[in-house]
Amino acid sequence: MRLRASQLTKDFGHRTIVKNATLSVHPGEVVTIFGPNGAGKTTLIKILATLLKPTSGKLEIEGTDAISESSDVRSALGVVIHENLAYPAFSPYENLKFFGQMYGVKQLEHRATTLLTEVGLQRFLHEPLRIFSRGMTQRFMIARALLHSPSVLLLDEPFSGLDTAARQFVLNRIAREQQNGRGIIITTHNTELGYLVGTRFLFMINGELEEVAQKDEITAETLLLTYEERLIDNAPKGL
Amino acid sequence: MKAFRQIGALIRKDFGLQFRSKETLVLIFVFSVLVVLIFAFAFGPIFPERVERGKLAASVLWTAFVFTGIISLNRSFALERAHGALEGIRLTGVDASNLYLSKVVSNVVFLFLLEIVITPIALQFLDLLDVVTVGILLKLFGVLSTGTLGFCAVGVLLAGMSTSANGGESLLSVILLPLVIPIIMGGAKCTVSLLVTGGLEGGFWLKLLAGYSLIFLASAYLLADAVIEE
Repeated sequence: MRLRASQLTKDFGHRTIVKNATLSVHPGEVVTIFGPNGAGKTTLIKILATLLKPTSGKLEIEGTDAISESSDVRSALGVVIHENLAYPAFSPYENLKFFGQMYGVKQLEHRATTLLTEVGLQRFLHEPLRIFSRGMTQRFMIARALLHSPSVLLLDEPFSGLDTAARQFVLNRIAREQQNGRGIIITTHNTELGYLVGTRFLFMINGELEEVAQKDEITAETLLLTYEERLIDNAPKGL
Repeated sequence: MKAFRQIGALIRKDFGLQFRSKETLVLIFVFSVLVVLIFAFAFGPIFPERVERGKLAASVLWTAFVFTGIISLNRSFALERAHGALEGIRLTGVDASNLYLSKVVSNVVFLFLLEIVITPIALQFLDLLDVVTVGILLKLFGVLSTGTLGFCAVGVLLAGMSTSANGGESLLSVILLPLVIPIIMGGAKCTVSLLVTGGLEGGFWLKLLAGYSLIFLASAYLLADAVIEE
């Protein structure tokens, strides 16, 4: 098992953002978590990425306790979140070179160039990241997440703000990384794309995770209907 | 080996960022020159004695370096926080103490380069450059670098905490200055002594300066993990 989280809870002050979240991901599995804005998806991803400590619960990554040994498990994680996790003044090549040195990536220059070419940024290798569009930044983020060949990918809203071509690129890349045996967790509120790419589906509403189905157990239409029902059931009174 | 490789990469990255935009370098240089000029024009001609000019020069230098130090520390962490780069670094699994150490080294180097440029300018404006020998100047740089090390040792730790808070830039000055008073006192007294007598008069202030700097460095290194991870 790539990642196993059990009973994860995160409180900020008196508010509980993530409530007893339990999930796991196996090699070659793509777990899609659907949830509306403010459901706690980003907080959950940050906990799984060891960037936030949970208030309670357990998290294991590749069999290691990721809460007490967070530094040791981080090299197993590739993370895409809303922030760049990089330096806008540097080019994508310089960023990958720096982060590659930090990870200790072998044959770094070749690896960085190859990855940036694979994500379609070969013409922008030496342009500063700050001039990049949302789609180009997302491509860079995927290259950055894959730089050190992690076994787990955590992708927070990987399709948001992307045009059709960029979405297709992200879909293809996720499928390829799944075939490479990585365990992948995606959060999205886009049921169509989330269904296309996922192999197992969960809902996250008001901080609570609910296991829904494996892909072969549910159609896209049923998934959408179920998701909408849950959203209506949990909508604040008066809306 | 891994730690050295990571610290080296972090320091090279800091230099690359600072020398690429030059924003912070220009800002701290202009600020320091302004401090020197304001003091020189306000007090310059009214102190005919070397003793008085030496005391004034020490005040000018330490005022300039303390406030430019705060600007440099704030800018240094603002660059890391702006686009989540600090989280990107944490995700590489780097030990927080090594991250802290790299920040101390890069800030000490930036500020020391500034001190090498600003000190002769200040001494010239306060009519001390012709009485200060190369030997005294080298000792003065020794004192300034020791003080800068102590200042950055505490400053990096506090900047790491304060820049994530609302109003972090002003917060840093409030929480940092009381803690570095022994360093400012020791540094200013050593500077006065060097500029007035050419020596360090018993070495008490130098021992205080060096002692505090090392204690701060060691304790902040040990605390770095808790501060950066939380």
